[in-house]
Amino acid sequence: MYDLIIIGGGPAACAAGVYAARKRLKTLLIAESFGGQSIVSADIQNWIGDNHISGFDLAKKLEGHVRSYSDILEIKSPELATGIRKIDREGGISDFEVITTVGKYEGKTIILAAGARRRKLGIPGESELDGRGVVYCSTCDAPLFKGKTVAVVGGGNAGLEAVQDLFPYATKIYLLEYGDVLKGDPVTQEHVRKNPKVEIILNAQTKEIIGKDFVEAMVYVDKKTGEEKKLPLGGVFVEIGSVPNSEMVKGLVDLDKYDQVIIDSKHGTTSVPGIFAAGDITDDPYKQNNISAGDAVKATLAAYAHLLDRSKKEELNA
Amino acid sequence: MKNIKIYSTPTCVYCKMAKEFFTKNNIPYEEFNVASDDRAREEMIQKSHQMGVPVIDIGGEIFVGFNRNEIARALGLTP
Repeated sequence: MYDLIIIGGGPAACAAGVYAARKRLKTLLIAESFGGQSIVSADIQNWIGDNHISGFDLAKKLEGHVRSYSDILEIKSPELATGIRKIDREGGISDFEVITTVGKYEGKTIILAAGARRRKLGIPGESELDGRGVVYCSTCDAPLFKGKTVAVVGGGNAGLEAVQDLFPYATKIYLLEYGDVLKGDPVTQEHVRKNPKVEIILNAQTKEIIGKDFVEAMVYVDKKTGEEKKLPLGGVFVEIGSVPNSEMVKGLVDLDKYDQVIIDSKHGTTSVPGIFAAGDITDDPYKQNNISAGDAVKATLAAYAHLLDRSKKEELNA
Repeated sequence: MKNIKIYSTPTCVYCKMAKEFFTKNNIPYEEFNVASDDRAREEMIQKSHQMGVPVIDIGGEIFVGFNRNEIARALGLTP
């Protein structure tokens, strides 16, 4: 029986791991991989304390920090948590069982820090042409689109950065945004707008990706006129946000309409006492590495307080 | 020893992870930078029928992406 089971391997999970180890909690961390979603970022410029750090290096630092507490903190990785079950004990106390692809583990408290994964367009042709012109990692695959016309879908920061990744390679870049404005940072927007290769298309609802062996075209609807348009393309870069990895707690803790775990951001508590959450899996409005780390610290300290309370209850029951 | 080729781009972290994995296990490999090497890029697309990196060729067996357990198995290592 662990005091605490942390699920995830990004900034939230690693911050929770460090604080739990320093509180000398017997902790298990279950991670599919380390680093979180920003691992693919070529250059993170807002991780406090580092002017520039690559997502890869940040992932190494986070993993290294957590692994340095191996005397009290056990790590199962790569291992994927698929479900959590609440076990009610006498005296109003509950434990939890975490089910993974490999085994089962019991803990007195849980911190959900499994983050989020990339959202897909969900249009015909997307999954059929995944990897064959449909791209979800622009830093990885942009160089393969040398001399090609491509589209980036999504006008947020990730979309703008994908456009920048494509600058040296693509000959023409369409940037499609569903809304009527770009949402990314003004500094990046300016940089993108200045490049003559870029054509911004607002109010664009993507409809279909067409291609036999590789992407050949994309169809979108101009939401203002209702007109259907077809762009001949060699690649589609999808950058439309993320979906939380909350399937494992569906039906156990309260989720919002986006399937994000609802938390009280003061203590990172969820609707189930003993289960805490932090980072991109939660309904916190700002998805940021620094916030994930900070919120996970709050959740860990709250979990520690919960464990102290629990042991008092157990003494009274005894 | 099987002949190992990795097709990569300089900015791809999964390529870096794969290369670190080979180095850690003392496995020699040949690397092709498909961002600059047009011929290697064509070869990679032909072999894997797709355009994502990394592509790892282990003695003719083609792997797209870096799945540590899968690669370890193909190399006969314990994951």
